[in-house]
Amino acid sequence: MKRLLAAATLAFCATVAQAAAVVGQPAPSFTLADTNGKQVNLADYKGKVVVLEWSNPGCPFVMKHYRSGNMPALQKKYAKDVVWLTVNSTTEGHSDYMTGKQLNEFSKQHGAAPARYLLDVEGKVGKAYGARTTPHMYIVDASGKLAYVGAIDDVPSASESDVKTAKNFVAAAIEEIKAGKAVSEASTSPYGCSVKYKQ
Amino acid sequence: MLQRFLHALLLLLASAAAYAASVKTDHVEAELVTERVGLAPGSSFTVALRLKMIEHWHTYWKNPGDSGLPTKIAWQLPPGFEAGAIQWPHPKRLPTGPLTNFGYEGEVLLLTQLQAPAGLKPGEQVALNARADWLVCKDVCIPEHAQLSLTLPVTVGEPPVDSAQQAKFAAARVALPQALSNFKVEASSAEGLLDLRITTQSAPAPQLTRLEFYPERGDVIQHAASQKLLRDGDAYRLRVPLADAPPKNFSTIAGVLVAEPGWGAGKAVAFDVALAASLPALAANAAEVVAAPVASSAPNGALPPSLWVALVFAFIGGLILNLMPCVFPVLGIKVMSFVQRAHDAPRALRSQGLMFALGVLVAFLVLAGAMLALRAGGAQIGWGFQLQSPLFVTLLACLFFLLALNLSGVFEVGASAQRLAGSVAGKSAHGDAFVSGLLATAVATPCTAPFMGAAIGYTLAQPAPATLIIFAALALGLAAPVVLLSWYPRWLRFLPKPGRWMETFKQVMAFPLYATVIWLIWVLGAQAGNDAVLRVLLGLLLLGIAAWLYGRASLSGKALPIAISALIAAAGLATAWPNKLQPGANLAAANDGAWQAWSQERVAASRAQGKPVFVDFTAAWCITCQVNKRIALNRSEVMQEFAKRDVALLRADWTTQDPAITQALAELGRNAVPVYALYPPDTAAPPQLLPEVLTPNIVLQALQNAVPAANTARASSSN
Repeated sequence: MKRLLAAATLAFCATVAQAAAVVGQPAPSFTLADTNGKQVNLADYKGKVVVLEWSNPGCPFVMKHYRSGNMPALQKKYAKDVVWLTVNSTTEGHSDYMTGKQLNEFSKQHGAAPARYLLDVEGKVGKAYGARTTPHMYIVDASGKLAYVGAIDDVPSASESDVKTAKNFVAAAIEEIKAGKAVSEASTSPYGCSVKYKQ
Repeated sequence: MLQRFLHALLLLLASAAAYAASVKTDHVEAELVTERVGLAPGSSFTVALRLKMIEHWHTYWKNPGDSGLPTKIAWQLPPGFEAGAIQWPHPKRLPTGPLTNFGYEGEVLLLTQLQAPAGLKPGEQVALNARADWLVCKDVCIPEHAQLSLTLPVTVGEPPVDSAQQAKFAAARVALPQALSNFKVEASSAEGLLDLRITTQSAPAPQLTRLEFYPERGDVIQHAASQKLLRDGDAYRLRVPLADAPPKNFSTIAGVLVAEPGWGAGKAVAFDVALAASLPALAANAAEVVAAPVASSAPNGALPPSLWVALVFAFIGGLILNLMPCVFPVLGIKVMSFVQRAHDAPRALRSQGLMFALGVLVAFLVLAGAMLALRAGGAQIGWGFQLQSPLFVTLLACLFFLLALNLSGVFEVGASAQRLAGSVAGKSAHGDAFVSGLLATAVATPCTAPFMGAAIGYTLAQPAPATLIIFAALALGLAAPVVLLSWYPRWLRFLPKPGRWMETFKQVMAFPLYATVIWLIWVLGAQAGNDAVLRVLLGLLLLGIAAWLYGRASLSGKALPIAISALIAAAGLATAWPNKLQPGANLAAANDGAWQAWSQERVAASRAQGKPVFVDFTAAWCITCQVNKRIALNRSEVMQEFAKRDVALLRADWTTQDPAITQALAELGRNAVPVYALYPPDTAAPPQLLPEVLTPNIVLQALQNAVPAANTARASSSN
């Protein structure tokens, strides 16, 4: 009933923004094809910690974390602890759009190592999560609830040199989850380019 | 281009000592600009980072919204200098798909206050350096930066203002959110909504058509969600959907409220308040305010006219002014003086043509100057504004009546009629030409020829130099035919030879002038009522007696009758002099058949009911408006079509000064009448502007295009 009311309120306000994922709430379920054409369902990873990384190689903020090696390093460092899913919601008509093959090529070039690279060309999953920027980071805990939503780190800039001095929110959250603690900074403001959704 | 050149020239003249270089990236031109061309020791002064984005690209406000990054300035100042924070002008909403950003398109000045140390030596040059970083986006984003420098001389006293930059700084300050003392915001949050209650004691109470909230923090509200504005008794309520996960320490709310048409002092107000547990309940008659269409920078559809296009339109508009009914009498006078002088030396003729052009030019520039001065003074003013003043109309009626009597042969003053209007200009032919140029302008102003509306509307938002250039182009257009004739006097042979017929012609030319007088009196009646008409007619009678007496006396050469006639003339003027305005005497009253009096609220109300709205912006002194009314709007087939499609007909009468109408015209990008605006039933769609010269077909066509068939069906089935 309460959810119905909330939905009604949202509809009433004619919001364009989505019922975004909220920390502590169950992560919205989805099925998406990855860059190799395989179907991936979030439920496949039940019982595991999942990191969702909204990405778009056409965005300078994403490139800040790939050129500096920051994002690939995180993906590799926590490969055993989490399932890292990179999601690209860029619509097909946009100049930033890349095919699965091109994205695989990009990952190879930059030493990226996500478990899967998911294609969300229709933007449905991005909107279900309320992903606004690239990068926009989500962590789903082993119980399927959202444990972290927000920025990759605390220095909103596009310059690579800031990576060294920034506090990485995602790494800190994963460490806390590993240690069985509650995530201390569970919700932050993401920064970056807008997600290039289908208009 | 020309504008930039002028700009550079002015800057060069005003500030030979201060210099700064602009940096051009692929998408942005960046520059440090200064308000004053120097700095005094120990003073605090304002500089600005000027960012000019290429078309359709934007940079961001301090809270960029759903994505993006605010512009940053890192100052590198000499020892002892201190820099304040960026003073951000209010942003606008920039939607992209399901997301919304807050930022700036076009050009923005980010003001910063700097403090100079006391120990500076006058004459010294101080270099102020800064690195600016910004993110510029369209559908892709590019981070860019520039290393900028501004060198200022240290002056003894307060340094002079840089006149080239002054207007831009003034405009930037207008866009800064104000902290108003008579303004109160209460806030509360409940059920996923941020509820703001705004009360203001400013008089008159603002009539808002739109209100937008921009929060300081990026994690409080859903940036893309629509915000609902309610009129709540004397207050306004704005309801904004909260972010899905508002911050934990969410106990205060700070941000900027941007209002259309504004709060009186400006459009943007800043506030920072603690959240209250609850707000007063909504008044029983609280009602949603339906958003009016945003005044866009391109009101006429496609592209905003560049300065060049505006200049061409202004010139064409000026040319067409020659053919407008209210220029006709003066055109007659001009033609006559050409006939008289066709046998003068060609060189004299040319210089007279140029003097005429100069007269027109001077008159237009004086007008433009006055308009700029009034605009700067905050007065809301539009084209044709002279005829909104009953005094001006009265004096013009007296002048034209005397001119007409003169043409009729009641009295003679020198050789030509114009001399009466401009005895100050001396008795030379050049003086005559100059004065007839001035006169042509004075009479041309009430008639807004097609094309001119857009050009003038364009100047409203332009800096002073552009306004002056556009008015100059109008002037040249008006003067062009006469100058052309004076240059190629061979073409004058098509004009008839002087002779006895000239006296006849002169007398015939009196009749258009009498007609003009009748029209002016009609205008006055609309403005000031019946009594004013009686007074001006009595005044004209006295003037007629005076003129007749003068004509007889000047034949006999006696001094006493001339003195008496002067006295009578003065009495005539005093009689005609209008009293206070009688309110409510306007012509286009609400009871004019199917037409209702216009108001912003009425437009909003009709659109809220899903009705299309047609607005006739008109004035009694606008002849084009009257002609359009007769030949297009009042035609039965047009009225039937209006009724069939259930169109709400509103008439905005601008015969006398009405700030609300001036404002509405400005929002449509115009500042002259006629303007015909057709608002489609879809409230999100912008109004369609019809041409200034209407035919029944134009109106019918526009109706068919703008009002969808569904609406027609619904309206006819209810008939």
